[in-house]
Amino acid sequence: MPDLAGIVIIAAVGMAGYWLFPDNLALLTRIVAVALLVLSIDLVTGYCGVATLGQAALFGAGAYAAGIACVNGMTEPLTLVLIGAVAGAVAGLLMGSVMLRAHGLAQLVLSIAIVQLFHEAANKASAYTGGSDGLSGLMVSPLFGVFAFDLWGKTAYLFGLSLLVFVFIALKFVVSSPFGILCRGIKEDPIRVRAMGAFVFPVLLKMFAISGAVAGIGGALAAISTQVVGLDSVSFELSANALVMLVLGGLGTLYGALAGTVIFMGFEHMVSAINPFHWMTMVGALLIGVVLAAPSGLSGLLGTISRATTRGKGGRG
Amino acid sequence: MQTILSIAIDALAYGMALFIICIGLSLTMGLMRVVNLAHGAFAMIAGYIASYAARDLGLGYAAAILLAILGTIVISIPLERLLYRRIYGSTELTQVLMTIGITFCVIGITNYFFGPTLKTIPLPGSLSQPVDVGFRTIAAHRLFVIACGLLVAGGLWFLIEKTSFGIKLRATVDNAAMADALGVRTQAVYAISFTVAVGLAALGGVVGAEFLPIEPYYALRYMVTFLVVVSVGGAGSILGAVAACLLLGAVDTTGRYLMPDFGNFFFYAAVIAIVCVFPRGFFGRAG
Amino acid sequence: MKAAKRILGVAVGALMLGASSVAADTIKVGIIGPFSGPFALQGKNFQAGVEAYMALNGKSVKGHDIEVIYRDLPAANPAQSRALAQELVVKEKVQYLGGVYFTPDAMAITPLLTQANTPLVIFNAATSAIMTQSPLVVRTSFTTAQTTTPLGKIAAERGVKKVISAVSDYGPGVDAEVAFKKAFEAAGGKVVEAIRMPLNTNDFSPIMQRVRDSGADAVFAFLPSGPTTLGFVKAYNETGLKQAGIKFFAPGDLTQESDLPALGDAAVGLLTTFHYAVSHDSPENKRFVEAATKAIGSADQLSFPAVGAYDGMHVIYKMIEATEGKQDAQKAVDAVKGLSWTSPRGPVSIDSETRHITENIYLREVVKGPDGKTYNKEIQTFPNQKDPGLATQ
Repeated sequence: MPDLAGIVIIAAVGMAGYWLFPDNLALLTRIVAVALLVLSIDLVTGYCGVATLGQAALFGAGAYAAGIACVNGMTEPLTLVLIGAVAGAVAGLLMGSVMLRAHGLAQLVLSIAIVQLFHEAANKASAYTGGSDGLSGLMVSPLFGVFAFDLWGKTAYLFGLSLLVFVFIALKFVVSSPFGILCRGIKEDPIRVRAMGAFVFPVLLKMFAISGAVAGIGGALAAISTQVVGLDSVSFELSANALVMLVLGGLGTLYGALAGTVIFMGFEHMVSAINPFHWMTMVGALLIGVVLAAPSGLSGLLGTISRATTRGKGGRG
Repeated sequence: MQTILSIAIDALAYGMALFIICIGLSLTMGLMRVVNLAHGAFAMIAGYIASYAARDLGLGYAAAILLAILGTIVISIPLERLLYRRIYGSTELTQVLMTIGITFCVIGITNYFFGPTLKTIPLPGSLSQPVDVGFRTIAAHRLFVIACGLLVAGGLWFLIEKTSFGIKLRATVDNAAMADALGVRTQAVYAISFTVAVGLAALGGVVGAEFLPIEPYYALRYMVTFLVVVSVGGAGSILGAVAACLLLGAVDTTGRYLMPDFGNFFFYAAVIAIVCVFPRGFFGRAG
Repeated sequence: MKAAKRILGVAVGALMLGASSVAADTIKVGIIGPFSGPFALQGKNFQAGVEAYMALNGKSVKGHDIEVIYRDLPAANPAQSRALAQELVVKEKVQYLGGVYFTPDAMAITPLLTQANTPLVIFNAATSAIMTQSPLVVRTSFTTAQTTTPLGKIAAERGVKKVISAVSDYGPGVDAEVAFKKAFEAAGGKVVEAIRMPLNTNDFSPIMQRVRDSGADAVFAFLPSGPTTLGFVKAYNETGLKQAGIKFFAPGDLTQESDLPALGDAAVGLLTTFHYAVSHDSPENKRFVEAATKAIGSADQLSFPAVGAYDGMHVIYKMIEATEGKQDAQKAVDAVKGLSWTSPRGPVSIDSETRHITENIYLREVVKGPDGKTYNKEIQTFPNQKDPGLATQ
């Protein structure tokens, strides 16, 4: 079992949030949903080196699939999450097969174009998606027939947290598997990997599908807990924000993705409550400060500190 | 025929306005390798200065443009010294983080000082009149934008290909360490290029304000458009940027005329098609 | 024994009543709106309306102090909307929710209201269907269908036979297109073509070319207030459609007062219908404009969301009055059903069936005032308009 300690810490932090902020559970649930999206970006950007500004296309695919299924009578939450994951994975395959044709900047632009097309499609298909008014009227059944999704949001949060821990464990296995290591290899040096006889495209496409499933689960969770799916869930803005959170936390560690999401959204929530009119400046200052203090993201900073301290100890001993 | 010509001239004007704003970003991204998402923020700052100069100080249009360019450059110098210098050579994603942060700050500060309303830059009488070009009337301002675009393209081409500064710039881009060793002051080259890029953003922000109106959210609202145009053209290529602006302007304008309901589909489908055929953009620099 | 109990009960009741009316307790009102980001201007107007109302009518109702808590929701984002509403109710213990600019955000709050025992007074979000989502919603703004419908008759009366409709491709745009078509064709006109323009359109000259090609006598337009409006109206002028005599009809979102300085002379002569013009001539409006201008800081920024917020606060005050400061959402909403008063926009009332506001819709023309500034001049009144979208359901 890889990183048992880390997983225990995540669960403990999650439960601490539950006890410390019992009145903000809807916010915490939203953070969990976005954390799943950020994790999914880490898979393709942090592990495979494919930068994307369109990941919300996969998140939105999951959200709309779960939402539409729910409106049409499939109201069991676990089934909805499954539907979201499948829809996300299919969208991921689609997105991957287009994006992997290009590299670098061109790839980034493809991701933008794809998320914009998804957004347009969701707007056009208003008969199914509600268009810009949002898909509303999701009546999700209680979890296991007992725990209802209500005003206080306990069910939604604990459900979301369990999903997050479950996904995290699964991803730890994925990234430490031979497949995950091959992905890292492709990120470092695709030509050498190709020379070793591995096929790059199918490997990366597989990661896109996994990433899509994770984003789709996040989208489904957002749909279930909000009971409304809006066009913002397939927007460029959400994609860009999520990428910013990932870079803030640090790429390629999974922990960085979680830390970045919690810090960014927590900070944003805090400053926007203090001054709802001019908080954007504060968020901007945070981002600039992080780049100046820790160019490789916050987890990179932690890594530097821990390396420095162990080296210091080694020197003394 | 008349309709085709009419659409063509609209597309040309819109494309040229995009070109003036985007070419500076193309230079920063292609030559200096900085993904400067705050590019639009500089264009917006210039718009505010020009609007203030023309409406509150009562200056003429030309003076307002000049003041806007100078003012924006003055504002950008401390930013370059304190912030941008730290991210030359960083990974692209770090640059994204920093420049998004700068954009957020600029938006917040503008909103605080100038309020959220639209700001206009009054045109002189000679530019606000419709001009008869034979088959239809067109706003004189649109012709002015086209002329500005051609002038900028020509001037930049001359600067980069024909002057000694251009040689130093290209040397620095190809191999900064080697250029440094040969006595090129690369730090200065970067600073000057940055200034040129900001100046172009400022010019674009002011003359393009008829298409992209000045308001605090400008910097984020059009970020995607700018990024897409630069990438399709190939970062760092003037010819590429011209081609991308004209082609995307044409696709956008024609798409919106023929099937306005699906205008966005046309635009982004065209982007995907172009990028799949030219993965480095039209005239992107290899490697 | 029984009698003693009853006396005790009455005594305790009286004591509690006395306590509640004497003690300076605080009733919190949570306002959600776009206070930053691309729609910051509209959010600022929410705040101005709320502050103007409190400045003119006091910060307490029957001894209950009112505290307003603002929460920022920059763009349509239902998940964030729900999280903010939940926090306001559960953590901040607000008794009333107000504000909400976008429809999906309102849709995300409505499922919470019954459990939260909290009414929601909508200051803007303009889709008919919101009202049917919960019995605890009251709206003091307008719906797009409500403001648009009179235009159909107006266009026909002015001798227009063929109209081309050009609307932004999103919910309110489609609502406007449908409402206008219905009203105009009922009045004998014909909509020859209906264009839906993507929201992020920057250059409108191709659309104007289409308008010209269609051979229509007039164009009906709907765009969200803000930068796109500017581009659209400019293109209408620059491409010579105005000189060619093609008339221009639109709901008042297009000529909101805060956009008029930017539109300048290009807007002169535009005909729009809306529920409120800052220039409305009445003593109530004079008082309101004065207070709201003070709150927002500059006369140029004042626009229609402020009046929605102002009347929204009026409704909330009436609710607090009726419930004596106790949290009873149903009683609060029942108390304002049928409520009528004179708003800065004219006489209004809350429809007791739909809980949506019934109000006058005015035809306005943009004209140049003696000071050289343009403004919306009300030239015709359509009294007591209900929301046609809800009436048909």
